Amino acid sequence: MEIIAAITAGILVSIGVWLLLDRNLVRVVLGVVVIGNAINIAVLTGGRFNGTTAPFTSAAGVPELASNPLPQALVLTAIVIGFALFVFALAVLKRTWELHGTTATDRVTEVAEDDAPDLAPPALATPSAPADREGRR
Amino acid sequence: MLLTLAFIVVAMLFAPSLSRALDARAGWLLALAPLAGFVWMLTQLPVVSSGGVVLESYAWVPALDVALSFRLDGLSLLFGLLVTGIGTLIVLYAGSYLSDHHHLGRFYAYLLGFMAAMLGLVLADDLIALFVFWELTSVMSFLLISFQHENAVSRRAALQALLITGGGGLALLAGLILLGTAADSWQFSTLTAEAVEGHVLYPAILVLVLLGCFTKSAQVPFHLWLPNAMAAPTPVSAYLHSATMVKAGVYLLARLNPVMGGSAGWGTTLIVFGAATALVGAVLALRQTDLKRILAYTTVTVLGQLTMLIGTNTAYGLQAFVIYILAHSLYKGALFMAVGSIDHATGTRELTRLGGLIRFMPLTGAAVALAAFSNAGLPPFFGFIAKEFKYAGLIELGPLGWITTVVMIVTNALLLTAAGLIFIRSFLGRQGAYPRHPHEVSVFMWLGPMTLAIGGFLLGTFNNVAEVWLVNSAVQAVARGPVDVHLYLWGGITPAVIASLLTISLGILAYVKRHAMRRWMTRWHTIWQISGDLLWDRLLKRVFIFAGQIADRFQHGSLRQHIALLALASSVFALLGVALAGGITAWPPVTSPISWAASAGCILAITGAGAAAAMRDRIALVTATGACGLGVALFFLAINAPDVAITQIMVETLTVIFLALVLRKLPPLQVVGSRNSKRRRLHMVVSVLFGLAFTAVLLTSIAGPLPGDIAAWYLANSLPGGHGANVVNVILVDFRAFDTLGEILVVALASIAAANMLGGRSARKDGNNGNPEFGSVLLRQGIKPLAGVLILVSVALLWRGHNLPGGGFIGGLVAASALVILALGYGVPTARKLLRIHPPRLIGVGLALAAGAGLIGLLGQQPFLSSAWIAPGGLALGSPLLFDVGVFLTVLGSMVHMLFRLLEKEA
Repeated sequence: MEIIAAITAGILVSIGVWLLLDRNLVRVVLGVVVIGNAINIAVLTGGRFNGTTAPFTSAAGVPELASNPLPQALVLTAIVIGFALFVFALAVLKRTWELHGTTATDRVTEVAEDDAPDLAPPALATPSAPADREGRR
Repeated sequence: MLLTLAFIVVAMLFAPSLSRALDARAGWLLALAPLAGFVWMLTQLPVVSSGGVVLESYAWVPALDVALSFRLDGLSLLFGLLVTGIGTLIVLYAGSYLSDHHHLGRFYAYLLGFMAAMLGLVLADDLIALFVFWELTSVMSFLLISFQHENAVSRRAALQALLITGGGGLALLAGLILLGTAADSWQFSTLTAEAVEGHVLYPAILVLVLLGCFTKSAQVPFHLWLPNAMAAPTPVSAYLHSATMVKAGVYLLARLNPVMGGSAGWGTTLIVFGAATALVGAVLALRQTDLKRILAYTTVTVLGQLTMLIGTNTAYGLQAFVIYILAHSLYKGALFMAVGSIDHATGTRELTRLGGLIRFMPLTGAAVALAAFSNAGLPPFFGFIAKEFKYAGLIELGPLGWITTVVMIVTNALLLTAAGLIFIRSFLGRQGAYPRHPHEVSVFMWLGPMTLAIGGFLLGTFNNVAEVWLVNSAVQAVARGPVDVHLYLWGGITPAVIASLLTISLGILAYVKRHAMRRWMTRWHTIWQISGDLLWDRLLKRVFIFAGQIADRFQHGSLRQHIALLALASSVFALLGVALAGGITAWPPVTSPISWAASAGCILAITGAGAAAAMRDRIALVTATGACGLGVALFFLAINAPDVAITQIMVETLTVIFLALVLRKLPPLQVVGSRNSKRRRLHMVVSVLFGLAFTAVLLTSIAGPLPGDIAAWYLANSLPGGHGANVVNVILVDFRAFDTLGEILVVALASIAAANMLGGRSARKDGNNGNPEFGSVLLRQGIKPLAGVLILVSVALLWRGHNLPGGGFIGGLVAASALVILALGYGVPTARKLLRIHPPRLIGVGLALAAGAGLIGLLGQQPFLSSAWIAPGGLALGSPLLFDVGVFLTVLGSMVHMLFRLLEKEA
């Protein structure tokens, strides 16, 4: 089972990276979700699937073949944190769209960053600039 | 010694406010700090001159064996007296010189800061401490040169000085570390020549240390920065760039001479570079017409001669070294200050406009005359003894010394000419065409030069006093063995005296023929065009262009290329790591039996993710993502992780809702993947490689045995130690509660950040009655009881979580989903009203409860977050339960906060 899980995690990570490399920010956000899922599977796989029962104990004693509780505790919080991260990414996506009207990753950088003031063409600094700017619009 | 330093540092800290309160008179008070240091040094003279040393040591970085240890021997005392003595005069002088400058306080602070650093440098016994002080002097020099930073020339000069001396400083650090490692000692006083000179690293140490010293002391080809540093105010030039800082390099050479000076390479390098520097400085000095630049170039000459004298390592040479340091600091400090006064009084430093100043400034003129005689090396001044001993030391050395003697005769003759230029041209002869009518300067401005110049005269006349108290112990500190020190003005007709006579006649000849010489020099104009300064500018430009190209290569602004490179590099390294990994006990790894349900979950997850990657329709995307998450949940459930599976289902539900809410406002996706098919293939390769590396790492990690028995410990101690049957929950709220506290803090922060990004609260508070999709009356009627049930269920999950599947995380998510349906069905205002409490406040209360639960442990004198239990009536209640409530509220608050903001903005 561990091998299947490891391969699954690998395939999911592949898909996730493929999505991250997409031009569209929507897919990038989905990539974050998919990679998160893959990592959660990987962490659990690292703890092995030796148990046949859930990690619950009783007054009678510890069950012989309980599954490993530590990775489960780690993954449980990771899921919630991953969700908060996902919403944050989603918020960035939404804001980018509202501000720049684009969701293409490489375009966003171009739109968002102004030239350094020193590098601005001198035409803009001269008094005739307003007319010039009007013309460009 | 630390007290002396501390006193100066305190003066530095109070300088700006004192200066504001007392104006220029603050200088009188501030000068007390270096004066106190000077007096203290004087009281140490008896001890040191009789061969003793004063030691002080404080642990600084004990782990690295770095100590703040100070050691006062003859050499340190000589430099210490110069630093504090001249420092006192300079502080007084600066008060008058810059009296009308609006940043005088800042100037005092920089000056005193430099003084402390320089004093620390000459007193430090620890290699690393010396380096730190060394760099501090470079930084303070940068600040002082750029003091008039409105001036582009000053800025350029400051940067040039910093880059050259700082670059040399880096080499020095490497050299000192090698030195310390080679000798296995980090104190100068415990270094031994046998350990250093015989070591295999000696050549490397030599080159690195010399680089540091040569840059600091402006040796060819690093001499560029010193003349340019004259852009600084004159007190700075007098203090840093003639008397003290530039001598730091020579100081270190002298300090290391006993342990490193035994090799032929040391002597030859120092003599060759020193002689070249001296010659270059003297020749260039004569081409200048600006008094300060003349002085700067003669300083370069002197530094070259000093370097050379250490290289001789003869008794006369080392005596000449010590005498010359003293003589030069006195007369050059005096000349610089006097030139500052001339500048102050007449408004110019150009030789061609000066002349006849003795009528207006007799006191300054007298000081300049005395200093210039010492500079020229005329008897009975101290400079004369220095020159005599210099020749004697070189002649002692043999053939190499004779060649350098010739060089020396020429440079000293040129120095004499320069001295003549400074005194005769500016003070005697016809009255010059000054921009301003000159006047004698105030008392503090002539006191400094006069004191130093008279000092030079007295030391020369009463040279046995200097010998007994100062020179002897300093020479012993520099020399490799005991040296017989004896100073004299007249030692009979020796080769040195003949060389002296030659120098003087040559110098006078050069002065008389100076116009012819200048004309002759201008004829070789092609030579003067090979300016190091221009080369420096070109070099700097190249460096910037090169750096820009490198930066452009990596900072191209394309997010996708960054990710691709990152993924590619990490997969390569991961695969390399897998290939080199040891400890694989079984291959293929021993695995548990295949679970069909888990496999089905895997297939569902892969299918969902694949569909999300391939499809364009927004609804399909949301569905595919949901399918992927549900597949993962199924997998969790099948491998006996019920808590994780429930959390995953809840989160997946919320993910789908949030995704759908955002995506419906965005345009449809245009293209799948990249337009460029070549780039697409590249991305495909990167993704597949990364996935392969991921799987390979995972397989390798499970191929070995699971280390330790952590799982068993948690299982065994959950019920007895944590009073809970649900081991996962006990780990979260008890055993590893501190982790969980950090994690809910992350969730809270991320949600607040995301909520702010999603936008503020909508202006329209009413009129939002939910989404029209939920317009059906039947549906709406169903929602309310359902939400109520969900809230109840969430509380139940929270309560039973310690023993059965559930807990704060799951409960919080379920409660959040109840509010999600309410907000969707009835609108956010209604949901807010039903919640009654502002979500961020909910987050705050939750975090406070969780942290407060930890404090209970503290009350019981246990570590933070230790659990405490009471059992009233058989019902076990403990701080972990309170902690879980905190988790519940934080998660609920975070989710609801984000959702409300998103929906309000939508409306």
